[in-house]
Amino acid sequence: MPELFHRKLERSAVLFVLGIIAAASVGGIVEIAPLFTIDETVEDAPDMRMYTPLELAGRNIYIREGCYACHSQMIRTLRDEVERYGPYSVAVESQYDRPMLWGSKRTGPDLARIGGKYSDFWHVAHLNNPRDVVPESNMPAYRWLARTPLKTNDLHLHLAAQQALGVPYTAEMIENAASDAYGQATPDTDYAAGVVERYGEETNISAFDGVTTRVTEMDALVAYLQVLGRLTNAAYENTAAPETKPDPDD
Amino acid sequence: MDFDHNAVVAFSKSWGLFYLMAFFVCVLVYAFWPSNRSRFDRAKHSILDRDDTPWQK
Amino acid sequence: MLANLTSSERQTALVLAGGVAVAGLVMAVLGRSDVLGVHGVIVMLCGGFVAWRIMSSFYAAEPTQDRSVSYYDDPIKAGIALAMAWAVFGMFMGVWVAAQLAWPDLAFDAAWSSFGRLRPTHTSGVIFGFGGNALIATSFHVVQRTSRARLAGQVSPWFVLLGYNLFCVLAISGYLMGITQSKEYAEAEWYADIWLVIVWVTYFILYIKTIARRNEPHIYVANWYFMAFIVVVAILHIVNNLALPISWGHAKSYTIWPGVQDAMVQWWYGHNAVAFFLTAGFLGMLYYYLPVRAQRPIFSYRLSILSFWGITFFYMWAGSHHLHYTALPHWVQTLGMTFSVMLLVPSWASAGNALLTLNGAWHRVRQDATLRFMMAAAVFYGLSTFEGSFMAIRPVNSLSHYTDWTVGHVHAGALGWVALITFGSLYTLVPKLWKRQGMYSDALVEVHFWLSIAGALIYVFAMWNSGIIQGLMWRTYTEDGALSYSFIDSLVAMYPYYIARAFGGLLFLIGTIIGCYNMWMTVRSAPHAAPERDAPVTPATVPGE
Repeated sequence: MPELFHRKLERSAVLFVLGIIAAASVGGIVEIAPLFTIDETVEDAPDMRMYTPLELAGRNIYIREGCYACHSQMIRTLRDEVERYGPYSVAVESQYDRPMLWGSKRTGPDLARIGGKYSDFWHVAHLNNPRDVVPESNMPAYRWLARTPLKTNDLHLHLAAQQALGVPYTAEMIENAASDAYGQATPDTDYAAGVVERYGEETNISAFDGVTTRVTEMDALVAYLQVLGRLTNAAYENTAAPETKPDPDD
Repeated sequence: MDFDHNAVVAFSKSWGLFYLMAFFVCVLVYAFWPSNRSRFDRAKHSILDRDDTPWQK
Repeated sequence: MLANLTSSERQTALVLAGGVAVAGLVMAVLGRSDVLGVHGVIVMLCGGFVAWRIMSSFYAAEPTQDRSVSYYDDPIKAGIALAMAWAVFGMFMGVWVAAQLAWPDLAFDAAWSSFGRLRPTHTSGVIFGFGGNALIATSFHVVQRTSRARLAGQVSPWFVLLGYNLFCVLAISGYLMGITQSKEYAEAEWYADIWLVIVWVTYFILYIKTIARRNEPHIYVANWYFMAFIVVVAILHIVNNLALPISWGHAKSYTIWPGVQDAMVQWWYGHNAVAFFLTAGFLGMLYYYLPVRAQRPIFSYRLSILSFWGITFFYMWAGSHHLHYTALPHWVQTLGMTFSVMLLVPSWASAGNALLTLNGAWHRVRQDATLRFMMAAAVFYGLSTFEGSFMAIRPVNSLSHYTDWTVGHVHAGALGWVALITFGSLYTLVPKLWKRQGMYSDALVEVHFWLSIAGALIYVFAMWNSGIIQGLMWRTYTEDGALSYSFIDSLVAMYPYYIARAFGGLLFLIGTIIGCYNMWMTVRSAPHAAPERDAPVTPATVPGE
């Protein structure tokens, strides 16, 4: 029987291809299919916040510049990693991340909990020329970020696409995306008040790059870096977290 | 059947393995089936001849 | 390239090229306020250029003889030239980014030349540009010779080859402008991904139609590997790249997979791109060109069948070993680890099969650098698959992951296996295709071989050292239980190895450039070989079943 079957299989190129698919697809299906029911086992995080438009724009700059090629955002469940970077990453923390930026290589340190560890000023100086603050660093300088105005007129499209994929942005958030991006980088304005109203008290309103007259790509990237690890407290609860969430006001 | 996470995982863990073993047996049978020997022999020598034109039907 | 096409085929080609140019125009208009517009213009220029080339010799003489009595080699020749051009580009980019890690000012303060944007131009340049074109070219050659039939299309091979290169151009020019999905080894954005699906489906149909018209009863095993490569890469590419563009006028899209699912899909893709792009396809080359060059049949045909199904089946499970100790469920990690270890069996079966084929012909390996390329490739394949299985074991991975060890492992495979088997195959193929007695210079093949070996070894040893040192420094504790080293201490320790790695890569690049020169001179000036047989076989010699 198998002899006949195989002879046929080998005779017909199409059947052969079906054999390849049958052999190859199972592994993927078995491993990936259960992940779609994983919501049932993933930690609940009622306090999970979404990225503001400015933070999302910053995330897209992080992606555009390929930062993920040298920085991971995934603290493994190993003692030295937890002591170096903070509580290990939990699945719920990246539930709104499309794509995830867990990374695969640490030419530089992990950034999963970088938010709040350094001041905005430090980040701006570091991005402008890393060797000004860390002389041994081999990270590229990103001077053009502070010179380049942030493109905000299509931010509502970004939020709308995310909403279509299941991130709970409201119609009001989508409508105000551009002004919210502006508001988050200009404290003490009506725009800033709007951001807090829509995204919550925890939102980090700051002049990030130190200039409030315009919103640059530097503002966006620093806003994103400062929110990393701070969207939810889930990782600090029900784990053996050795420390509390960093607070930049301390 | 209820498709909760544990059920899906259990299915993956058990049937995935059975599938693997069944597949492996089929491949072994095919490779060592005596009457296939001559075709394999022909195949492995056929690439060595110095013929460089397509054959006509 | 047009001399072999009839006038109706030239019309078809013209319509296709024109269609691409129009699609580019539409993209340029829709994306006029976005970087998508730039890509529209690039597509338009590429389509327009091909259309212009077709029109300029549209009324040239048509082929007179019956084309079915000869193999279709024009697209293969173009594919080899493109593969070597991409090799030089991709490896140059590799040397440049490697140098940037040691001397960060080599980015010259420009956005396009910073490490994060250049790195995918290196990976895509060598994997897709060099590897992909080499695979397309050799698969076209192998499928025709082993099937004893001409390719099942006149225009479609050109469509596959040129369309694929358009994808590569879009991907790589996009990274320089900051267009990226950030999914490693699948960075190209949605429109380029859709285009690749069209090209790939054409490739699949062409391949399967050629096999269907074969005059040999049995499908030779090399074709199995090429088919697995084509089929599985299509599945991987489509699933991993499902994304929602923010509008038809923007290059940016968001993947439909969130967080942990995206991680699993990404590394299921990433690892199987290694399996089916960088392993299966190149094993196809190995199983054809190594026996042909050695003039010895493969040691065990049965073993090649067993290892084929083993690789096809096991690899798909192994991707999760990229996610040990992460937020991925524990049992998925364990499954990935188990299958990664089991993978060693079919992998070593293939490597052993290749080496045992050479048993009894070692004197030829000694004399013939081309054969030695393939022998060394099989050795590197065996070593790096062992290393891969080893690194997939969870405790080993806790040390190796995130470090340069991974980079070293990848390059042991990419330089030692993929590039060496490709060079060996191309040195076998080039004289045959252009009907020369041999390569222009055997001495230069020898030089290329030793530069490649030296470059690969320096590279891999540098990365092993740096990776293990880095991993150990990260987890070293002082006696009172504090971490001994800051992160920057570990980076400072890396600098000597980064310099050594750039130097190893440079040697490899020089070897590739020498290879290009040698192939160019072979085509231009090596003496012609006497035709081995230029009349079709009479039906009597066709073995019937």
